[in-house]
Amino acid sequence: MNRRDFLKGLAATSFVSLSSASVLAPFKALAAAGTMANDDWLTTGSHFGAFKMKRKNGVIDQVIPFDLDKYPTDMINGVKGLVYNPSRVRYPMVRLDFLLNGHKSDTSQRGDFRFVRVTWDKALNLFKDSLDQVQTKYGPSGLHAGQTGWRATGQLHSSTSHMQRAVGMHGNFVKKIGDYSTGAGQTILPYILGSTEVYAQGTSWPLILEQSDTIILWSNDPYKNLQVGWNAETHESYGYLAQLKEKVKQGKIRVISIDPVVTKTQQYLGCEQLYVNPQTDVALMLGIAHEMVIKNLHDKKFIEGYSLGFEHFLPYLLGESDGIVKTPEWASKITGVTPEIIRDLAKVMTKGRTQIMMGWCIQRQQHGEQPYWMAAVLATMIGQIGLPGGGISYGHHYSSIGVPSSGAAAPGAFPRNLDEGQKPLFDNNDFKGASSTIPVARWIDAILEPGKTIDANGARVTYPDIKMMVFSGNNPWNHHQDRNKMKQAFKKLECVVTIDMNWTATCRFSDIVLPACTTFERNDIDVYGSYANRGVLAMQKMVEPLFESLSDFEIFTRFAKIMGKEQEYTRGMSEFDWLKKLYNECKADNAGKFDMPDFDTFWKDGYVHFGEGQPWTRHADFRNDPEMAPLGTPSGLIEIFSRKIAQFNYDDCPGHPTWMEKSERSHGGPGSDKYPVWMQSCHPDKRLHSQMCESEQYRATYTVKGREPVYLNPTDAKQRGIKDGDIVRVFNDRGQLLAGAVVSDSFPPGVIRIHEGAWYGPVGKDGSKQGGNEIGALCSYGDPNTLTQDIGTSKLAQACAAYTCLVNFEKYQGKVPEVSSFSGPIETQV
Amino acid sequence: MTDKQVYATPMNQGRAMVYRLLSSLFAKELDQQLLHELTSSQAQAFFAQLASDPLLAQDIASLNSVLNTLNTDRALLELAADYCGLFLVGTKHSASPYASLYLGDNDASDEILLFGEQHQQMKTFLQQSQLTVQSEFPEPADHIAVILAYVAHQACCSDDKTQQAFIAQYLNAWLPQFTDKVMTVDSGNFYAALARLTQAWVASDCDALQVS
Repeated sequence: MNRRDFLKGLAATSFVSLSSASVLAPFKALAAAGTMANDDWLTTGSHFGAFKMKRKNGVIDQVIPFDLDKYPTDMINGVKGLVYNPSRVRYPMVRLDFLLNGHKSDTSQRGDFRFVRVTWDKALNLFKDSLDQVQTKYGPSGLHAGQTGWRATGQLHSSTSHMQRAVGMHGNFVKKIGDYSTGAGQTILPYILGSTEVYAQGTSWPLILEQSDTIILWSNDPYKNLQVGWNAETHESYGYLAQLKEKVKQGKIRVISIDPVVTKTQQYLGCEQLYVNPQTDVALMLGIAHEMVIKNLHDKKFIEGYSLGFEHFLPYLLGESDGIVKTPEWASKITGVTPEIIRDLAKVMTKGRTQIMMGWCIQRQQHGEQPYWMAAVLATMIGQIGLPGGGISYGHHYSSIGVPSSGAAAPGAFPRNLDEGQKPLFDNNDFKGASSTIPVARWIDAILEPGKTIDANGARVTYPDIKMMVFSGNNPWNHHQDRNKMKQAFKKLECVVTIDMNWTATCRFSDIVLPACTTFERNDIDVYGSYANRGVLAMQKMVEPLFESLSDFEIFTRFAKIMGKEQEYTRGMSEFDWLKKLYNECKADNAGKFDMPDFDTFWKDGYVHFGEGQPWTRHADFRNDPEMAPLGTPSGLIEIFSRKIAQFNYDDCPGHPTWMEKSERSHGGPGSDKYPVWMQSCHPDKRLHSQMCESEQYRATYTVKGREPVYLNPTDAKQRGIKDGDIVRVFNDRGQLLAGAVVSDSFPPGVIRIHEGAWYGPVGKDGSKQGGNEIGALCSYGDPNTLTQDIGTSKLAQACAAYTCLVNFEKYQGKVPEVSSFSGPIETQV
Repeated sequence: MTDKQVYATPMNQGRAMVYRLLSSLFAKELDQQLLHELTSSQAQAFFAQLASDPLLAQDIASLNSVLNTLNTDRALLELAADYCGLFLVGTKHSASPYASLYLGDNDASDEILLFGEQHQQMKTFLQQSQLTVQSEFPEPADHIAVILAYVAHQACCSDDKTQQAFIAQYLNAWLPQFTDKVMTVDSGNFYAALARLTQAWVASDCDALQVS
């Protein structure tokens, strides 16, 4: 048959499929969609910074820093890669076996499975049906919707608020207390200094630059960590760090970084480093304290007037209570710091004005409460708490802390809780004897051992029998420890729902996955400058939500509608109604103090600037009058000995700061004969936790052969025949991963670093594509939490202790798998 | 426009029907209604006619044999899961249906962003024909279903040379790579056969248009 006859024959069948409407439409019909002008610069913001953005042909084209951001992070280059990422969750999806079998599905398939697309209506009804089943069968203790995280910025669309308000309108659920970043610190410090300290404004940088003679950066890398903020970050701290660099150069301020590794901050400032063996900082602090006492360097008057319990601590320091005198020689053996240096530190810290700045990593280890407590004791002995440029801080590396606050009120947020008088559909508060709130990092333990009772911060916590988890804007398959243990726990869950924008590992281990749009696909409002409260930012929608993604507000408005509670949920207000309300309430709060224009002017201008703030000294009011301005501790004073903690009678958190050996410790500590290397998994330099890891072109600026870098000491590398750029297998009894070697003198022997936030990409144990969901799988990209230990810091905080982790590593000789972290669910079995 | 009507020959109508069908099969999962239509006597006649081309016969047979097994909801869902794993998630381990991921000089380590250059190019083509992507189909314009639908539309309103140039550059250039990927990833047979059929059809149509 010739072509002519063949084609005519086709036409002659007159086959026209009616249901397959064309994917094309006449252009004119959609003319209204082009309402947003292409060439305007719009303002918006994120954890990575406040931005201006421009579109071209309906697509985000240029992203530049906000005018007032003089020190933007280069993560700005990764923003487009987040929005137009091929791993976007494009449609609502359900794991096929869950769709077929619901709560009786084969849960071993999670992480390695088949999904199908469903309509929003179907997905949200499945979500509600699952909640119905759990509330009916198990009650509120069967549901955990309190595992929340860093979300995206924006006061209206904050994913945590929307998820918890909507799920809360359905029924009650298990919640968390604390967070992974500062769990130990925020639990211990209220007993010692009267507040969490980690989330509090600190002494202003101008005063520190003016008054400090010595700054101790203790396990603290502000130059790395200040790149991101809880709100739209405008990076003002970097201006002060630049001044500090100049002062270091001129010899006017001595900065000592006490850290096992050469930090990014140390490199920037050109300051000194004091190497200390990993996890031994408390011993070092005790050695310094001992020297202060022996040489009579401590401020006895301050200790007497402002603190409580030094006399209970002293016998421990002097060895009277336990037979071990905490001399510099004693400390030296544990810490690797010479007695001379320890003695010198005691002298340096008590001479002139000394500001101690603690980082957060140091408390993410077993007994992580202790270094924070002992550092507060050192600061008390120095006697400068409440003086400008002296004392101790726990947050100068975080969210513009130390930048003088404007003093203005920030805009409020969409409510996380139910309004007064509102009742959930399942109005049941019977947790069946289990706790309704559990320490944040203990949820996997709860799933694995329901009914078990543990000590936590003076209370007894009974683990609820969790059957269903709901996550929104949160990626626990990044931030929790021990992936193999998580896999076991997830098999026990009947239903997992995740709402996110890109296919995180948490999405892959879920049953229902709902697509949220990114920050740049909705209108919102935020404060900029984080803790400095520098102004209010309009977050103007750049593009319509991609694919079928929706804003968090829209997702849960639809969900509320299914519950018959749409009006209750939104209070009858639209996105813009809410923005106006939040803005106008902020305007009213600031009336007479800070001028704010009407909403329309604000929205057109893109921001309202509150101006510079006044320098301020933390704890100055307490120092001026401890009776009129007591601390929030039981005694109102700094508690060197805590009667309350002592009464808990915990073996791993006694009544005063104490050096305790770790379950795993390198450099001669327990377990180091088998696994000699300490792995630190600090906050990344080029991400916010796991956010932006998926931004491919930006990721390529730091990966090694497509893998997350593992930073290694040259000697360690040479011993193992590893060269810079090699693929390395890092392993211990808990797991294994592949990473790319970066050989660097900045890391001492016996220490490696893999930044947390590296997306989990499991493949078979031997590198084959099959078997990623199995216990013992190899992480193809380099997620350090494949190796970390899932234990509580102590009975006090029960917080994340990821830093107590020993490993070994070798040059990888096996089959090199493709990285599986960034491509959505991988179907390896049928 | 009368000169456009000139192109609406039975031959071109036949071609348009093939492109339209292929577009609709790539655009979304098979549902009961579409399945019903595909198994109708009219459709069967259409398939039989297509299968008279020996280059297409085997894949038509494969498609038909899968269609004949889709007699339960479960079977349709399994096929939907195949579709999802191939076309709706990720890229590297799937067979993303976007031209931009195959055209251009991207090597394996360099991921191309969605809604990129090819999407803009296709949007321009569509606009020149007074067309746009249907709002119910919220995909980039370089989605294979959009490109196939565009060719179906052009079949009856532009000359062979124009069509051939477009098909060669924007479809034929990447279909072999795409088909390889579908065949590697597909855990069933339907979409592998559909991709092969599409590749074979487009290649031969492209050749024929050049000759004519």
